[in-house]
Amino acid sequence: MKKAFVENFLAGSYSLLLHLALVVLLIVGLESTSTPQLASDPSVEIVQATVLDEVMVEQEMARLEEIEQKERDEEKQRQQQVEDKLKQTQEELARKEREALDLAERAEMEKQRLQKEAEAEKLRIAELEKQRAQEEQKKLEAEKQRQLEEQRKQKAEQERIAAEQKRKAEEEAKAKAEAERREQEAAKAKAEAERKAEEARKRQAEEEAKRAEEAKRKAEEERKKAEEAKRKAEEERKRAEEEAKRKAAEDAKRKAEEARRKAAEQMIQDQLAAEAAESNRRRVAGVLNIYAQQIQSRVKQYWSKPANAKAGMLVTLEVKLIPGGDVRSVKVIKSSGDPVFDRSAENAVYKAAPMPMPSDPDATQQILSEGIQFEFKPE
Amino acid sequence: MAPNVLRYLLVMLAILLPLQANAVLKIEITGGSATALPIAIVPFGSEGYAAPENVSDIISNDLASSGRFAPVEKRDLISQPHESQQVNFADWRLLRSEGLLIGKVSSQDGENYQVQFQLFDVYKAEQLVGKRYNVPASGLRNLAHQIADIVYETLTGEKGVFATRLAFVTEMKNADGSKRFALQVSDADGANPRTVLQSTQPIMSPNWAPDGEQLTYVTFENSKAEVYVQQLSSGRRNSVASFKGLNSAPAWSPDGKKLALTLSKNGNPEIYVLELATGNLSRVTHNSGAIDTEAVWMPNGREILFTSDRGGRPQIYRVDAEGGRAERVTFEGGYNASADISPDGRTMAMVHAVNGRFHIAIQDLQTGAVQVLTDTTADESPSFAPNGRMILYATEQKGRGILAAVSVDGRIKQRLGESGSAVREPAWSPFRR
Repeated sequence: MKKAFVENFLAGSYSLLLHLALVVLLIVGLESTSTPQLASDPSVEIVQATVLDEVMVEQEMARLEEIEQKERDEEKQRQQQVEDKLKQTQEELARKEREALDLAERAEMEKQRLQKEAEAEKLRIAELEKQRAQEEQKKLEAEKQRQLEEQRKQKAEQERIAAEQKRKAEEEAKAKAEAERREQEAAKAKAEAERKAEEARKRQAEEEAKRAEEAKRKAEEERKKAEEAKRKAEEERKRAEEEAKRKAAEDAKRKAEEARRKAAEQMIQDQLAAEAAESNRRRVAGVLNIYAQQIQSRVKQYWSKPANAKAGMLVTLEVKLIPGGDVRSVKVIKSSGDPVFDRSAENAVYKAAPMPMPSDPDATQQILSEGIQFEFKPE
Repeated sequence: MAPNVLRYLLVMLAILLPLQANAVLKIEITGGSATALPIAIVPFGSEGYAAPENVSDIISNDLASSGRFAPVEKRDLISQPHESQQVNFADWRLLRSEGLLIGKVSSQDGENYQVQFQLFDVYKAEQLVGKRYNVPASGLRNLAHQIADIVYETLTGEKGVFATRLAFVTEMKNADGSKRFALQVSDADGANPRTVLQSTQPIMSPNWAPDGEQLTYVTFENSKAEVYVQQLSSGRRNSVASFKGLNSAPAWSPDGKKLALTLSKNGNPEIYVLELATGNLSRVTHNSGAIDTEAVWMPNGREILFTSDRGGRPQIYRVDAEGGRAERVTFEGGYNASADISPDGRTMAMVHAVNGRFHIAIQDLQTGAVQVLTDTTADESPSFAPNGRMILYATEQKGRGILAAVSVDGRIKQRLGESGSAVREPAWSPFRR
């Protein structure tokens, strides 16, 4: 609303300014047209007065009068034209500066022509001046009239603008009032909606609360049920445990009795086995004792003891045999430090092969699995 | 509870006892016999020109002569490999040989010979040593001795002496009944004798310098006993002792700088020490009533053993090389003379008379135990091999002097050389340097 008002105001201002400008231009144009009349020079008339005769003067007077009449008519006509033109100019308020200039140009041409005519005139200047003064007066009045008219028009325009502004203000006020009314209505509607929403919320909250209450109640029920179930399960478990314990105890007792019985049996068996093993061991040991003597004498027989073997030398060999009594491997497990002495011992074992084997299969098995350990000493 | 545990332990014990019996059978071998090592020596292969010496035979004889090896009879050799890839070890195990020696001798020109050998442990089927040589024909015999030394040392752990030399004196009768004496040097097996000195007069008591390059000896060539030192390579020699009276029995000190010798320049034979570089003479023994002779240096170079009859009968005494009181070393028997000492200084060899018969005996210097090694009856001049294993000596056979050697354990006795002349006073060289 305010903006519209400002725009209107500015539009009004522009048109006012345009009007003022046109008025100014018109005044300038009028001033230029009147200048030659005010500036006529008296010195020129004196020169031509020396050749005058009566007839000629008469004729001349008649001609001048005719001319003057003619001129007066012309002037009148011209004045009319000027006025027309001015009038036209006034009507064409919206026309541009160039047209005003055209007018000024024509006025200038006219001025020049008038100046030439003024030069021919010598004797009727005063009359002319008088007429001219009268005409000037008329012109001034016309101008004044025109200005008045202009002022009236401007006033009317201002009134129109004011009326327009008033109308606009009224419209704006009306629109504002309308807007306010709408706003109030909207606010009212909003408040209504809010109220309704609040109500809905309240209702929902109440329902929620109700539902929560229900859920809580149900949960409580569930919990109670679960507790009950748990308690029952616990009771069940305890009962089962006790039962299991009882059973386990019974089992253990039974098993222990079984074990005792078995252990007793086993012990008897073990004792029997141990006695058998001991007897077997004694038998095998006896066989191996004889066997060792056989092996000893055989290996000794094949041992070429190095001549430089010194007392205290000792080499230990681990000898593995194969069933036929041949040597599978000879390993020096403790060297004498003398490679010749070690080799003599190794070679003695190799040369003694194939070794005799014990007659007893247990003893043979032991020899084959465990091997024989030899210790060679020079003395 | 406790009785249960006890019962359980008893049962376990019963079960474990047989396991104890399963421990490894242990057998102790003591004593053994220092028997000769059986070794298979395959005759070396020959390529190109035939060699003038049978290298493998020389090696085999050397090893056999030492008494430490028993080379397998040639006819028992299962195969005749000359290269390692031809060897089937199982064959050689059947022979129960402890070593197998193979080799090859080849020559393209009959002058230069290439000899290669390899010694294997047949039970472990591995090479113990192998070498290759280039020698002129004249070097083949010595090379064979060197290979024998390598085999000996590899299998016994001791240095062999087959490449050492012997020095001895020979005596020949001319047709007119006059005698011809020679100082000779031979290989250790008595073969290849070379004469280094000849004389119509007796030569005695040769003795090696420790460097093996010089000999000292006694010669009567100037109608009296004189002591000479001779360079073997050049033959150059010079008299080092020609004092009035007796100049005899020179013995080189271990450092090679001195000679111990017997001089009678003061009337009675006494032991002296002569410094070779200066000619300085120092008297070691002072016993006017007896003969002191046959000096020999202990390996430490500080003491001298010698023979003296100061106790009425010849016995061995020991004295400081600087002089001083001599102590008697031999007490067993009525005659002990001509001592030599083993390289380790522990065993003394000597001529030991039993019932008028002269044998070579050894005496342990620590225990004093005497062991007679020979059963020959006119033994003289014992001389230890440089490895101390054998003792070289001279003896008589059918009234003629010969060379013989005996092992220090007395088991090995051998005759050396087959020279036509009577041989006396042998001396075993040191190791070659």
